[in-house]
Amino acid sequence: MSSDQDHLKETNTEDRFAFKNEHKAAVTAEKGLNEETIRLMSEDKDEPDWMLERRLRALEVFQEMPMPTDWPAMPDLSEVDINKIVPYIRPDVELREGTDDWENLPDEIKDTFDKLGIPEAEKEALSGVGAQYESEVVYQNMKEQWEEKGVIFMNMDRAVQEHPEIVKEYFMTSCVPPSDNKFAALHGAVWSGGSFVYVPEDVQVEMPVQAYFRMNSEGMGQFEHTLIVAEPGSEVHYIEGCSAPKYSHFNLHSGGVEVFVKEDAHVQYSTVQNWSRSTYNLNTKRAIVEKNGTMEWISGSMGSKATMLYPSSILKGRGATDNHITIAFAGEGQDIDTGAKVYHNAPNTKSTIESKSIAKDGGRTNYRGLVQIADGAENSSTAVECDALMFDNESTSDTMPYMEIEESKVNVAHEATVGKIGDEDIFYLQSRGLDDDDAKQMIVSGFIEPITEELPIEYAVELNRLIELEMEGSLG
Amino acid sequence: MSTQVHATIDESTVRQISDELDEPDWLLETRLDALAALDDLPMPSVIQTPGRKWTNLEDLDYESLVDPLNAAETKDQVGPDEVDVLSWSEALAEHEELLEERFGSIVDPQENYLTALSTALFSTGTVVYVPEGVDAEDVKIRTEMNSRSLFNYTLVVAEESSSVTILERQSTGEHVEGERYYSGIVEIDAAENAQVQYGSLQNLSEETYNFTLKRGDAGTYSKINWIEGNIGSRLTKTEVSTELNGDSSESQIVGAFFGHNDQHFDLDVKVWHRGEHTTADLVTRGVIDDVARTVYEGVQDVGRDAWDTSSYQRENTLMLSDESEADASPKLIINNHDTEASHSATVGQVDAEELLYMTSRGIDEQQATDMLVEGFFVPVLEEVAVDELREDLKANVKQRLRD
Repeated sequence: MSSDQDHLKETNTEDRFAFKNEHKAAVTAEKGLNEETIRLMSEDKDEPDWMLERRLRALEVFQEMPMPTDWPAMPDLSEVDINKIVPYIRPDVELREGTDDWENLPDEIKDTFDKLGIPEAEKEALSGVGAQYESEVVYQNMKEQWEEKGVIFMNMDRAVQEHPEIVKEYFMTSCVPPSDNKFAALHGAVWSGGSFVYVPEDVQVEMPVQAYFRMNSEGMGQFEHTLIVAEPGSEVHYIEGCSAPKYSHFNLHSGGVEVFVKEDAHVQYSTVQNWSRSTYNLNTKRAIVEKNGTMEWISGSMGSKATMLYPSSILKGRGATDNHITIAFAGEGQDIDTGAKVYHNAPNTKSTIESKSIAKDGGRTNYRGLVQIADGAENSSTAVECDALMFDNESTSDTMPYMEIEESKVNVAHEATVGKIGDEDIFYLQSRGLDDDDAKQMIVSGFIEPITEELPIEYAVELNRLIELEMEGSLG
Repeated sequence: MSTQVHATIDESTVRQISDELDEPDWLLETRLDALAALDDLPMPSVIQTPGRKWTNLEDLDYESLVDPLNAAETKDQVGPDEVDVLSWSEALAEHEELLEERFGSIVDPQENYLTALSTALFSTGTVVYVPEGVDAEDVKIRTEMNSRSLFNYTLVVAEESSSVTILERQSTGEHVEGERYYSGIVEIDAAENAQVQYGSLQNLSEETYNFTLKRGDAGTYSKINWIEGNIGSRLTKTEVSTELNGDSSESQIVGAFFGHNDQHFDLDVKVWHRGEHTTADLVTRGVIDDVARTVYEGVQDVGRDAWDTSSYQRENTLMLSDESEADASPKLIINNHDTEASHSATVGQVDAEELLYMTSRGIDEQQATDMLVEGFFVPVLEEVAVDELREDLKANVKQRLRD
């Protein structure tokens, strides 16, 4: 058993996520959003003019765009008042650029990530690790062997300074423009921190790189930006984890992820999201996949009060492939509205979407997905499979797929099932000596196995632990 | 609301229609209320995804399409002796109390702009009354539309332990030219243990804009089965739905469509599970060719108190042309965990291997394709329990392949 597993075993999962540190910050922006705040942020980051201009343009778009209101059965966002959000907090860390030495971090930040098991994970099997605390990345490390091959893994703020030519080309231009949706516009205006990953042509990064995001302060918004450019023939697996303690006041997480999968490249993007039950998770994630490229989205959505997140892939080049594997778990008071979007814009493109959801104690899960096959995307195929498991009568589970098919030479299949946890299965397991809780937990573990087996071991363990925690003693 | 029909459709028009049918005050009031509400009512809901509305009902010029005072039709409505199959005016004379009680009880006259328009302006209709314990196999309603617009209303009341099979057909007369508007509302009230089978075959001219809303209320142990065939019309917006309000009630909705040229079908199939132990089975299959487009929305909604629900939905579309478009959104809304529900949807083209197999046996490609299209409909045709309707549908598919 790896040290990660030991660590995870020893630490009580609830404590690992629910603790919070005393609020300490060097710069805290005013609540709300205006030009002045944006200028302050940009100045504090010593950004070039072009980035400030992009922020201000995004702010304009944000102010023009209405909140989404007309989606069928969408989560309640009435509490999300941007004037009550602190958009930017720079933690009080000496090392402005972040550090690559874990020991240099202030104790309370180190403790935070220690409790989350980040360094342990790094020691084992990762190519690099980044850690963001509030609005800024405080720790970043990349193993030498990859650096030598030209792989770049650094925080996004630094990338703006050090690789302006790449960032200028890709940052919120073609993949996630601010006009995409209200929260993408917000993100464009106030983004801070996040990861920049660049993999040169034909370089295969065999071990995953990982970033962890932690929101500590009450009433803040976190808006990290992740930009991944995988040049032709390259390969990389990026993992992110996120968490925040629970506060009575709401938090907003509105990240932006842009992935460029060039010809024959392969990118896997895995997320285990465990935001606190007071966080609104309104994220935009998108990949543009060129000829014969492959994009894989793997996500576990456990936390948040409400999530609206539909990672999307634009299959732009002939023969491009997309795979989505997603799992959503909604407990009391949670509305996890998540799914996938795939645009087949070229011939011979393929996509698969596998979605699993679990609803209990009054939680709601919804699969909301869009598959679009454009005229001319001949010989494309898509298969969507959604399975929902329900525990009790207070919970709700919906499935709302949308399919727009403009090409006849296609193969489109969508399937969804909803059912309660099988009485027979439980009876069978009980008759073998398991108690009710254990039996149900075992069934859930089996139910989500297709997801966990895609994740590196420490994430799989974490996901299982989180689910165990969700299930503990709460079943009757 | 962008559409303003009531520039020409005013109170006097409504009063004149009501007067000619010799209607009681309560019905006139219902019509006038619907007319007055038009301004505030939305169009029937259609699917929207970012940047796109799947059917644009707002684009229609209702003012030029609607001509209620010149409505003309050829109607044939027959049934066995023990069942009342009555024209709207006969029904008013014979069953006024029943009509006052049931009219608008299942489909709210003010549900949306088009139902309100229908309520204000309808001038023809059929009432089918099946008394307790009566089994009636053969009720037929044939409507041939012979005017610019026609507003039709159908009410079916099946009393306790009765059963009835109703076949409805809509077509257009030969000597009418230009764009037209057909609107039909169907309400079915099935009492305890009643069984209603309602089959419909729409083959209106391809210059007709067609709006229909058919909904049934199923009582305890009752069963409402719908067959919905759509062949004709320029644009169809239709909803076929069942409220499973009674415990152990059941519904099956079988749909078949074949669109070509620039036809646009927006088909809604919905079932609301409200009672306990209810079962629904929704099956739709269709073919599109040329630049035709279909929009399919299927909803299985299971309420909080709908224990022990079984709900199934399948939708399959065959695309014969690259310029056609098939959009689908089958939705599950599940609020009770004691449910077994599933849906599936597929879109594809004629299977290349099957085609090769057939052409290699000497069948020319066109004929082979036609045979495969006919074969594609077999699974839904098998579900059509009414022989005559099944044969008609088959004939229509064959005819469409010859066009």
